[in-house]
Formats: sequence, C-alpha cells, structure tokens
Amino acid sequence: MFVALVTGLATGALYAAAALTYNVMFSTSKVLSVTTGHISMLGGIFGAWFISTLGWPVPIALLGSMVVGAAFGLLTDLIAIRRVLARSDEHLWLLSTLALATMVQQAAGLWWGTEPKPFPRLIPQDFSAGLGDQKYWLPIAIAILLAVALEAFYRRTLYGKLFVAMSEDAFAARARGIPTGRIRSMSYVIAGAMGGLAGFAAGQLTFAYFALGLALTLNGFIALAVGGLGSNLGALVGGAALGILSAVATYFVGGEYQQTISVGLLMIVLLLKPAGLFGSQSVRPI
Amino acid sequence: MKNRPMAILIVMAALIALPWWAGDLYKLHLAALICAYWVLIGGLNLVVGYSGQLSIGHVGLLAIGAYCFAILAGTHGVHPGIAIAASGALCGLCGLLLGLPSLRLPGFYFAMATLAFALIVTEITLAQGNLTGGGVGLSVPGLPAPFDTPRGTYWLILAIAVLVTWLTWNVARHTWGRGLVAVRDSAVTAQAVGVPVFRAKLTVFVFSGLTAGVAGALFAVLQSYITPDTFVFDLGLFFFVCIIIGGRGHILGPAIGTIVLTALPEMVAPLAKLGNFFYGLLLLAVVLLVPEGIGRVFELLIEYFRPRRGESHVVKPDLDRLAKAIENGRSVR
Repeated sequence: MFVALVTGLATGALYAAAALTYNVMFSTSKVLSVTTGHISMLGGIFGAWFISTLGWPVPIALLGSMVVGAAFGLLTDLIAIRRVLARSDEHLWLLSTLALATMVQQAAGLWWGTEPKPFPRLIPQDFSAGLGDQKYWLPIAIAILLAVALEAFYRRTLYGKLFVAMSEDAFAARARGIPTGRIRSMSYVIAGAMGGLAGFAAGQLTFAYFALGLALTLNGFIALAVGGLGSNLGALVGGAALGILSAVATYFVGGEYQQTISVGLLMIVLLLKPAGLFGSQSVRPI
Repeated sequence: MKNRPMAILIVMAALIALPWWAGDLYKLHLAALICAYWVLIGGLNLVVGYSGQLSIGHVGLLAIGAYCFAILAGTHGVHPGIAIAASGALCGLCGLLLGLPSLRLPGFYFAMATLAFALIVTEITLAQGNLTGGGVGLSVPGLPAPFDTPRGTYWLILAIAVLVTWLTWNVARHTWGRGLVAVRDSAVTAQAVGVPVFRAKLTVFVFSGLTAGVAGALFAVLQSYITPDTFVFDLGLFFFVCIIIGGRGHILGPAIGTIVLTALPEMVAPLAKLGNFFYGLLLLAVVLLVPEGIGRVFELLIEYFRPRRGESHVVKPDLDRLAKAIENGRSVR
C-alpha cells in the first residue's frame, strides 16, 4: 500500500511537471499545446541516448536534454503557434500542435524504436534501496523545484513580470511596448527546457518510450484542469491527486482501469467546479 | 449547376460498376474499406466540419461498434443485419453518454475528453478478456447470403455510405446545418439568434455515434479479425485528418480526403512506412497554408477557370440628358 502511494506520488509529480509546462505556455499565448507531453518524451529519449549510447556524463546529458526540449519548444512556437495566432482563428492551434506532436512521436518511433528502453541510473545507488530509490524522489524533487523556481521567476524578475503582464492582458502589454512575440517565444523555450528536465528526471520511472508523449499530454492536462488552469500550486496538487488516486485505484481494483479512473476524476471536478480547485473563474463569452 | 444530377449519376454508375473495372480483389477491398471509413467520417464531418467540435476520439466508438457486432453475430449467433443495427444503436447511446458531459466543455477540453474516451475503450477491451478476447482478439463472421462475396459486401457498404452521404447532405443544406455552422463560427451569436446550441451539438454527436457504430460493424466485417491493436489512437487521428484536409463545412472535400488518404499510403509504399508522420505533415501543411481545406482550393480553382460573364453592367453616361437636366435646373432658378 505504501509502495503504491509513493509510486503514485512520483507519477503524479511527472504529471504536475507537465501541467506546469502547460501553464508556462498558456500564460503568454492562451494556447494549450498538444506537444506538451512530447517535450518530456524527447527529454527522456535523448537523455537515455546521450548517456547510454554517446556516453556523456550525467550533468552534460541533463543539459543536452534541456537544450533539446528548449529547441523543440521554440520549434513549436515557430511552426505551430506563430502563424496560427496571427490569423487568430479559434481552435486552429489545436490542429497545428496535434500535427506537430504526431510528427514528432512518429519520428521518435522510427528513430528510437517503439519499445520502451531502460533509462540509465543517474546517481550511483543500490537497486535494493526500496522506497528511497531515486526513481521515486527525483521526479518529486524536480516538480517541486520547478514550481518554486517558476514562482520566484514570476515574482522576482523583470521578465517574469512581463510574463504575468502578458497573461493578464496581452493587448495592454503590447500597448505598453512589451515585445509580445518575443516573450511568447521565450515562454516556449522555457517550457521546453522545463519539459526536457522533467522527462530526464522521470526517465527511470517511465523508461525512454516514444508513446509516452500522448499519455503525458492527456494526464498533464487532467492534472491542470483539476488544479485549475493558470495556477502553479493547482498543477502540483492536481498532479499529486491524480497520481495517488490512480495508484490507490490500481492497488484496489487492478491496473486495467487506470485511464478510466483518471478521466472520471476529471469529469467529476469539471462538473462540480469547472474552473478547477485553484483556478480563477473568468468566463466571459462575449 | 444544371449538370449536377448528371454528374452524380455518372459517379454512382462508376461506383456501382467498380467490381468490374477495379481489377483485383485487393482494390475492391480497399474501395469497400474507404466506404466503411466514409460511413464514420460522414457522420463525424457534421460534428467536426459543421458544428466545429474537435472530436479526436471517434475511434473509440468505431471499436465499440466493431466489438458489438463481433460479439453479437459471432459469439451469440445473432443475424448480422440485426447486429449491425444494434452496433449503431449502442454507439448512438455511447455518443449520448459521452456527449452529455463533454459537449459542455470548451474546445481543447472537449478534444481531450474524446481522446480520453478512446483510450478508455482500449483499456476496457483489454480488461474484459472473457467478453472481447482481450489482447488476442475476436474473429468476426461474414455477412449472410446475398452479401457474402467481396462484391456483395462492397455493394452493401457502398449503399450504406451513399445513404449516410445523403443524410448528412440533407442536414447540411437545411436550417439545421446552417445552425451548426453558426455554432461553429460563434456559439454566442448562434445562441443569441435562437439556435439551441447544446441540443444541436448533442444531436449531431449522437448521429455521428450511430454512424460510427455502423461503420465499426462494417469495418469488423472487412477486417474479419479484430484486436484492441486495430483501434489505435492513430486511426482516430486519421479520421480527423481526412475531414480537416478535405475542408470544414463541405461534404465533397472530406470524401475526397478519405479516398486519397486511405488509398495513397496503400499505393505508395514509402508513405505507408511513414504512416502517421505523413498524416501529421499533411495536417500541418493544410492548417498553415489552407485552413479551409483542400475543398476550398478546388473552389478557388473552379472560380478562377469559370468563364466570366460579360461585363454587361457598365452604365454609359447619358451626356445629353445630363446637359438637359442641368439646363432645366438653371432655368428654374
């Protein structure tokens, strides 16, 4: 039972990290990119490739994963977001990011193979460590670190404040002379680096697996919707709740209905509290 | 548009005669598969193309229809015709149950809910091993006497596809379809002018569920053996891509999209290897270059090449009359 809880918390931390990635991109562009999970997938795969195949030391491989993630984030903005937002037709960003996500997943499948491959140990540790194993606490630590760093970034730095200004009102920010296009690109780069880091840290838990992206996109979104769109605390709580719930349900019911249970959670929260637990209610259709 | 009935007749005749000119059985099978896909896509087109709800999880409904047919007709020996109808009814019900909560959600949320639905269906087919055969799968019985040959199967599926096309075409060009387009373009405006937004969305969603169920049964017949692996998420993406590439708010466009996207990877081997990458690339290209879809390109081409009517509306100034009018005006003053 306790093992189930810890596993759930670790998986939930990964979902929370994906939800944080969503948040960063959403704040500046109001776009929920389907590629969110695929960034972490790339982080995991490239991390494994850097360490196992190329033999890079861990810190450099970590940096490499973050660079790959950041590059993919920038690519998402360049290809799938920029032109679509300029045209300002609703929903089109969903199609373009879905297309990009599909292409990346397929490319990763062709290059890396469709089987999950093991992720190397990052820190020398005995495999008999049990609950103290790094594969559990690394994702948890990273998710908390990301959330804290993001809050500090938003509150303490000038660029963070530009992000906040843009998320409040992009037009007003533009009128004040903020280069909104460049800030948006920057947010995608940051989100990419975050996703790459999360994918790298959770690599031992998830394995380097090409189809991880879609599941992570979905579960990260559920975590975000449960916690409340735009709230970093909500992302952490939502991710943890989702992970623990599915782990406990797996413990009692069996692993076959994991997806059903997480979606059930989403539906219940959305029906009871459409803005999520920590979200702000700001629905204005006109 | 005088020659439209003629064109429809010619296309219909060509489609009915397809078994004789298609050449080999594989191409006939492919044509039947396209028609089965179209049964689903035709219904989905009303949801995605007309009412603008981006459902990427219709493959789940397809799977339910296929399993329903396989279980009823195969395991329980029900007459296949009834089994097809039952598949349609069950999926219509599933569409209702899925649509009731999720159609209230805005864009991305709805897309994610349908995606989750597709994953849940896969999960349940794997978990309910004694009903669905689990990962091993189920074999599907063929159709009864007049339809048991490849030709017969093709004709039956073609007939259903034509029926679905006719139904969707009727919806699309009448008040209902206009209402759906209004919902797609601006739900608030549609509501303001009295379109029952939620009911309209739900009705077409249930209809699309029904066609998806029938398509699932036909698809199962064509596949003759189904496993959960048959109904991967990629297939749902494929349906979706067909519609977007064909063009939102058209019927002909998605039909052409379905034909091309099904046939092309089968005919061109390297594309089949790339599979989803190709679909993704196509989707991206269409979204970035022609968001209205390929159908719009055809329209523009037709408009471009259509002989222009003579410019008969040029008004020549009648100078004499003008001069007179001015003269009169002066004399009055």
